[in-house]
Amino acid sequence: MNNEQAISDEFLNALVDDQLDSAEKDYALRAVNQDAALRERVCELRGLKEMVQHAYPQATVEQVQRRGRMSLRIPQLQSLAACFLLLLVGGTSGWLIHDLSLPAGDNQMIHSLQALQQNDFAVHPSKFVVHVDTANPVRLKTALDEAESLLASAPDNPDAMRVEVVANGPGLDLLRADRSPYAQRIALLEKKYPTLDFMACGQTIRKLRDKGIVVELLPNTLVTPSALEQIITRRLKQHWAYIKV
Amino acid sequence: MREQLEQSRQRLYRVAYSWSSDRALADDLVQETLSKALKNVSQLRDPDRFNSWLFSIMANCWRDHFRTHPEMDDIDELEDYRCVHEVTPEDEHAQSQIVQRVRAAVGNLPVGQRQVLTLVDLEDFSYAEVAGILGIPAGTVMSRLCRARQALKGMLLEFAPKQPSQITRIRRVK
Repeated sequence: MNNEQAISDEFLNALVDDQLDSAEKDYALRAVNQDAALRERVCELRGLKEMVQHAYPQATVEQVQRRGRMSLRIPQLQSLAACFLLLLVGGTSGWLIHDLSLPAGDNQMIHSLQALQQNDFAVHPSKFVVHVDTANPVRLKTALDEAESLLASAPDNPDAMRVEVVANGPGLDLLRADRSPYAQRIALLEKKYPTLDFMACGQTIRKLRDKGIVVELLPNTLVTPSALEQIITRRLKQHWAYIKV
Repeated sequence: MREQLEQSRQRLYRVAYSWSSDRALADDLVQETLSKALKNVSQLRDPDRFNSWLFSIMANCWRDHFRTHPEMDDIDELEDYRCVHEVTPEDEHAQSQIVQRVRAAVGNLPVGQRQVLTLVDLEDFSYAEVAGILGIPAGTVMSRLCRARQALKGMLLEFAPKQPSQITRIRRVK
C-alpha cells in the first residue's frame, strides 16, 4: 500500500497541527517513518508553519504601541470597566441600561468591576459624557433627554454641570446636518446650556468620506480624532461619569 | 483578568495584522473588537471560551469591514486588495527579505484561507475552535487550511527552513 496516496494532505496538516487523536497519530507517525515521501511532505508543512509564525512576531505589536496610536491599555480598561459598573449599580438615576444581569460565569469580571468602583472615589458628580453609537432615533432622543435632564438638574448653578455628547458609528447621524432628526432641538439645547458640547468621532467621519459620503455636521459640533479616545483616554481619566445610551 | 486582557490585545493585533497587512486597519480592528467585547461582556457565558469569543468578535468586525467595501464582498475567494495595488520599488526591495515575502504571500491568500491559516498557526486554535470563531464547518477549516498551505508552498518553499530529513547526512561509501 502506498502511504503517500492513502494519507491525505488534510490528514498530514492535522498531524502537523496536533489535531489527531492518539490512535490517528500513531498511525500517521508509523506511516511517516516508513515513507520518505510522506516525511518530506510533513517537513514541508512544518517548515511553512514555522515561517508563518516567524513572520508575525509579537514584537510587531510593541512597535505599534510605540507609534503612539490609541490603545486600550489596562488602566484605561479599568476606567471604562468602572464606568460600566456605574451604569450597572446606578439604576436609580433612570438612565437606560442595556443589560442589568450578567451570567454567573462573569463573576470574575464583576469582582474586578466592584473593586474598581469601590476604589474610584474621584468620579465627578457634575461632569458627564453621554455616548451614542446607534442611529436608532429612540436612542438618539434618549441621549438628548439624558443630557438635558442632567443639565436641568442643577438649575441654581447650571454652569457647574458639564455634559458632553459623543457620537460615533451610526450614532453620528445625530450630528449630521443632512440626517439628524433633532437638529433644531440640538440648536436650542446649545443655546440654553453653554456647558453642553456635542462631539463627533473623526474616525467615523473619515470612514464615511473614504466611501465617498459627504459629511456635513451641525453648527458648533466639535470633532475628536476618535470617540473612544475622547471617552477613555480623556474624560474617564478626568473622572467624568459615563452614560451609554 | 488584567493579564488576560493585556495578552488578548497583543494577540488580537498580531492576527488582525496578518489578516489586513495594514497596521492602521489592524489597529482599528483591535479597537473595535475590544470595544464590542466590553460592550457585550454579558454574552460571554463560558469564561473558558474567552479567547474564542474575542476572536469571533474580531472575525465579525473583519466581515463588517468587507461589507463596507463592496468590491471585496466575496470574503472566501476574493484576492486581497493589495494584489491590485501598485508595487513600489521600496516594496520590491522589502519583499526580498524573507519575512516580507512570507507576509506578502499570506496577504495574497484568499481571505477565508488567510483567516484559517493565521488562527491555527499564530494562535494555536484547534480546528473546532476556528470553525466556531469563523462560523464555518470544521471540514471547511481543514480544506481551507490545506489549500492555504499548498499555495504558500508554491510561493515560499525556497525559503523554508531545512528540516532534519532534508539535511543530507554524510554517508560512508564502501
